[in-house]
This record gives sequence, structure tokens and C-alpha cells, in this order.
Amino acid sequence: MDPFLTILSGLPTTIALSVLALAIGALVGLPLMLARRARILLIRVPARTAIDILRAVPPIVWLFIIFFGLAETGVQLSPFVAAVVGLGAISAGYLAEVYRGGLMAVDKGQWEAGQALGLPTRDTYRYVLAPQAWRAALPAAATYAIGLIKDTAIAYTIGVNEVLFEANHEAQLGTASPLAILAFAGLLYAILSVAVGVASRRLDRRLQLVVAR
Amino acid sequence: MEAAANVVVRLVDVTKRFGEHTVVDGVSAEVCKGEVLAIVGPSGAGKSTLLRCVNLLEQPDEGRITVGGHEVDASRPLARGELAALRRHAGMVFQAFNLFPHMTVLENISFAQTRVLDLSRDEADRRSGELLERVGLADKADVYPLRCSGGQQQRAAIARALALEPQVMLFDEPTSALDPELGLEVLTVMRQLANDGMTMIVVTHEMNFAKNVADEVAVMADAKLIERGSPREVLEQPTHPRTQAFLRAVLER
Repeated sequence: MDPFLTILSGLPTTIALSVLALAIGALVGLPLMLARRARILLIRVPARTAIDILRAVPPIVWLFIIFFGLAETGVQLSPFVAAVVGLGAISAGYLAEVYRGGLMAVDKGQWEAGQALGLPTRDTYRYVLAPQAWRAALPAAATYAIGLIKDTAIAYTIGVNEVLFEANHEAQLGTASPLAILAFAGLLYAILSVAVGVASRRLDRRLQLVVAR
Repeated sequence: MEAAANVVVRLVDVTKRFGEHTVVDGVSAEVCKGEVLAIVGPSGAGKSTLLRCVNLLEQPDEGRITVGGHEVDASRPLARGELAALRRHAGMVFQAFNLFPHMTVLENISFAQTRVLDLSRDEADRRSGELLERVGLADKADVYPLRCSGGQQQRAAIARALALEPQVMLFDEPTSALDPELGLEVLTVMRQLANDGMTMIVVTHEMNFAKNVADEVAVMADAKLIERGSPREVLEQPTHPRTQAFLRAVLER
């Protein structure tokens, strides 16, 4: 098989890893952010600690802990699942902060207007603050997503056969010039990253147009 | 004396501190149905904070607040339901309009009706249309707020507050962010509201509005309500030296 096709065969795994980790992060990040903003100390402090730890430990160490470390306790995840869990948890920590930044960027008067109208807090968050916070958080979320795509390459170290895994394998076999092979792998990551960047800018512009129309 | 049943807003010994600083110091006041009370005074006197205490956007440290027959003891923590019940009766108009930028003008006015009054979207939109007519913005229904002038935004904000049929409208320097011309269109709408019998508390630097539209003028300085009476009494024959100094400064500008 053509070595470049083999590398390309790792692309779906890289994409799946990115999408699943981002989806987990986006979902879990929301309650994590709410807990981080809670008035009750016993909720806020653990949430803040969790966010700090998730972000403080290098992704590669997390993946090693989850894949190799947990095995010791009898929890043996497949490489792919371990990578999704690890990168998803890290994403939750980052996205919780991205969401929080988005909320803080919304003018305080928006909350007050909701309060003054007697809107239930839930409705104020959901229909007034969230749409605006999302708009403010989008650039930071996209930047994080791009970083995440590149971080999926770390999954190679626990044996997930994604793009870098296949590229390294082909390079070691010497089926083609290692330089060409690794540059090709790099190109694939670049294409994914640029695609996310372009999509984010488009979405950003569309959201802006809606408000200014 | 007005009958007690006619009192829409009653403040008793309302005090608000920010840390060491007392911003509102033991203010008591009553506003009766259909009355327009203008609160004037130097910046930093606590006028806006007092107004924000009325609908509990600021929780006072002491005092009792009654709005539309709903009374709360402001010195203790208030439940969300209690807050909502009181705010239900008070409409608020902010200096910075605070319209929801991601909703059209019509949606801004309809939204709370569907959530707070439980009206259907169609019914809410119909009522919003009437309100927009009333504030002269019928042609702006489907426009987003940021595409409107400041005066139009403020009129939309007034319509949004009116949509919940409040018993009193609170205005927090509603024209301070507007140039004179746009301010005038807002003042015209407010004057119309007053003529229609709406009970209003207006924190303002617009002395002409206070003189010509308000039934009563209250002067606030250094966290206290120092003088209160008819516009003629307060603005033309002020008794308190602090009021005299303030009015001199306003007139000399």
C-alpha cells in the first residue's frame, strides 16, 4: 500500500479523537463552569481545583496516567478510549474557562435587564446571556480546538493509530523519504487546523451580521 | 393626604452601604398612583442606587420596601420568588438602554411577555406591536437594536418595560447617554406616559422635565433625601442650602 495512503488512513482516527474530545469538553465544561461560578464554597472550590489540575498537568502525562496508570488498578481502557477520555477531560477544564470568559464579557446591564424584567434566572442565562457569551467565547474556543487537534498527536504515544502513528510507522519501515512522510503528516494537521480557523471566522462574521442587520 | 391604598411605592428607612461607604442613608419616601417623582441632585449623591433599591437590583442593608402592595423587609436575604414578585410590579429603564442585542426590537419586547406573563408568542407580538406604535417605533419592529439610534433604543426599552404592565416605571437617567435631540424624543414619550397616568420615579439631570412633568421633586445629596416638594417649591424656592448650591450650579452651566 502506498505509504501516503496509509498515513491518510489515520486521518479518520485523528478527526474522531478531536471531535469526541471536543464534544466531551464542550458538554462537561458547561456544568464545570457553572460549578466554578457557584456561590457555595463547597461547589466552587472543588470545581476550581479540578480546572486548575486538568490544565496544569501536561496532556501526555494525563494520557499515560489514564492508559498505563489506571491499568494497575484493573481499569484497562483501549488506547483510543483512553485518549478520548484524557483529551476530553482536559478540554472540559479549558472550555469551562473559555465559557466563563465569554459570560464575563457580556455587559452587566444584560443581567440587570433580565432581573428587572423579572425573568427567571434560568431564562436569563439561557436566552439572554448564553447567546451573547457564546459569541464572545467563540474565538477562544476555536483557538482551543485548533490546539486540541494538534494535541491528538500525543495519542500516538499510547498506541492510537492516528496520523502521526501511521507516519512514524511508515518512516521506520522506510517505504518513502522520512522527510516527505512526516511533512505530509504535518500537512494533514495543518489542513484540519486551518479549516477550523476558517470556519470559526465565518461563524463569527455571521453572528456579527445578525446583530448588526 | 392620599389614602394608603393609593401608595404604589413606599420606602421606609432604606439604607445601602458599599463597604464602609454609606450610599443611601435612611431614605423614606412614598409615591402615589399616577404621581411622577423626579429625583435630582449632584452625581454620586446616591440617586441611582436608591432607584435600584426600589426593584432590589441593589439589596439594601436596612429598610422596608413596598411596590404595588408587595412588601419586603430588605434587611434579610430575599428569596428569588420574593424578588420576582416585587420586580413584577416595577418596570425599569436604564441609562444604557440594555436592550438584548441578539433579538430584534419586537423580540426584545415580546420575550419577557412569553416568559413572565406566559403569553403566547402571537399574543405577545400583537401587544408589542401596539406598544411600538405608542412609542413611535412601529417601523423598527424587525430591526436589531444596534441598528437603531440611541433615542430609538431607549424608546424600545421603555416599551419593553411597559409590556409587563408595571404599576410603577423607574427611570435611571434615561437621557444621559443621548444627545439633546434624541433625548427629547425620549422625554416626549415619558411625558406622554405621565399624561396617561403612569406612576413614575425618574432620576434625572433634566431640570425642565422635572419642572414641567414631575408632580414632585426630591433632592438627594450626600446619600440623604434633603428636600422634597412641588417642582415650584423645590426648584424655585429651595430651602436647603445644599439644594440652593446645586441649582445654582445647574443654572450657571
